Amino acid sequence: MHEQAFRFGSSRHLVGIVGLPPVIDHGVGVVLLNAGMVYRIGPFRLHVDLARRLNALGYPTLRFDQSTIGDSGAGGKLLARPEQVVADVGEAMDLLHQQTGCRRFVLFGLCSGAQNAHSVAHADPRVVGALFLDGYGHRTLGQRLRHYLPRLMKASVWKQWITRKRAASGPRPPEPAFVVEPLPGKVVGGQLADMLARGLKLDFVYSGGVSRYFNHVRQFRECFGRLADHAGVSVSYFQESDHTYVLRGDRKRLLDHVAQWMGRHFPVTRPG
Amino acid sequence: MKARIEADLPFYFGPGRELFGFYHPAPAASGAAVLLCPPLGAEQIRCHRLYRQLAHALAEAGFPVLRFDYYGTGDSAGHGRDVDWTRCLADVATAATELRARSGAQRILAFGTRLGANAALDATDAALAGVVAWDAIADGAALVGELDRMQDALKVDLNRFDQARPELDVRLEWQGFETTEHLRAQLSVVGLPALGPRTAWLVSKGSDAVSEHADRQGRSVEAIDVAPRWDDIDRLEMAILSHPLIDAARRRLREMA
Repeated sequence: MHEQAFRFGSSRHLVGIVGLPPVIDHGVGVVLLNAGMVYRIGPFRLHVDLARRLNALGYPTLRFDQSTIGDSGAGGKLLARPEQVVADVGEAMDLLHQQTGCRRFVLFGLCSGAQNAHSVAHADPRVVGALFLDGYGHRTLGQRLRHYLPRLMKASVWKQWITRKRAASGPRPPEPAFVVEPLPGKVVGGQLADMLARGLKLDFVYSGGVSRYFNHVRQFRECFGRLADHAGVSVSYFQESDHTYVLRGDRKRLLDHVAQWMGRHFPVTRPG
Repeated sequence: MKARIEADLPFYFGPGRELFGFYHPAPAASGAAVLLCPPLGAEQIRCHRLYRQLAHALAEAGFPVLRFDYYGTGDSAGHGRDVDWTRCLADVATAATELRARSGAQRILAFGTRLGANAALDATDAALAGVVAWDAIADGAALVGELDRMQDALKVDLNRFDQARPELDVRLEWQGFETTEHLRAQLSVVGLPALGPRTAWLVSKGSDAVSEHADRQGRSVEAIDVAPRWDDIDRLEMAILSHPLIDAARRRLREMA
């Protein structure tokens, strides 16, 4: 392992860890974005495990905290959150370029990290690929049928529903949350088409933890039509996994998937 | 405030530069410095923001502060399955040495939460002058049992999974982190030391064993509740934040300094 900690950015407000492979081929670097409000190590240290796996395969990485998340402070300019995200990830790519010589980047984002990766991939020409975990998608008629019909037949679902009804505490109150309203589906589809026209490779991974809005690999086509046929698009649905990959086997499967996707689309010419 | 945050420094230290640390210099040194010992597993991530806020509050109060990650946790080197309790105690001592060198302080105080409190209390090589312990673990075997029960409940939790997975063997996993038979055995015998550094005890509801231990020491106990609870599997990814905790820890550390 060769990792170095940095405070960086135009206002020195960002904190991140650069991970280096044994040999750098100046090819593609990978930037890992915050998953929600979880700091840079990721849910259950997912980002650390992934970064080190990619380093061992020959890819430089940067896992970092965006403005006001984790150890990072506020930026020096008054920017709206979407603009701040693009600026932060832009400065992260600047740092990884300075440290490794990489000029092309792949973004990895889970949940709101996927939304942020989408925004940056659309805005910054240095991005050549992105992995979106539980990112954009919307409920469809097929999703509703797949979600509700089997549940009506399951005794365990009825039992759980009755147990909750009887519970003295009643339904769980909503948690305080920082929520960014997602882009409309048509806008997302248009931006994805723009990215694919630029040659980006895009990987969409959905987990069973978001079955409330996405529950079958076929649903990507229901959401985004012919984009599903594009050679630059890969779609996977890990039904058994939860949203944050809390189980070891699920995490390993995800890491294997990312490693294979990177090797297919961005092969390292001088493997570490 | 902003200038001070910019002075906070992330870095790697210790033999082989294997440990990650975050140093918070104090504008006006008080003569003592504070080492923040994190808990383990999911609790470490849940407490990250709280520890950062506490570090800033202590630095403003004149204490240089070092936050750090044990080997196999956070940004430090090592895999989750490499976590070893004996190594955790050695890492506390290594971090205390680093803090002495960076701050120039002769007296090192510590704050720890859950197993982080036990690590500070048990790390005799760190030569700590005092410890503020929040919800220290009084019975390691009970903790192991609680973590096992949480893991068993987690794999069939339909709030988390689309389908329950009762068939999975998750004995060597605790809420997102791998564990080992060795670590289970080590943690099973963790408890509160009969002798140790001067300690201020902070406890949430249900920590009766810690209160009884403090009574035997002739020390008072201050109630600081935690929300969400440590054993709430519905909120494993939710940060634990507490301004009362920050106020109490700062006050107790000032009394010790």
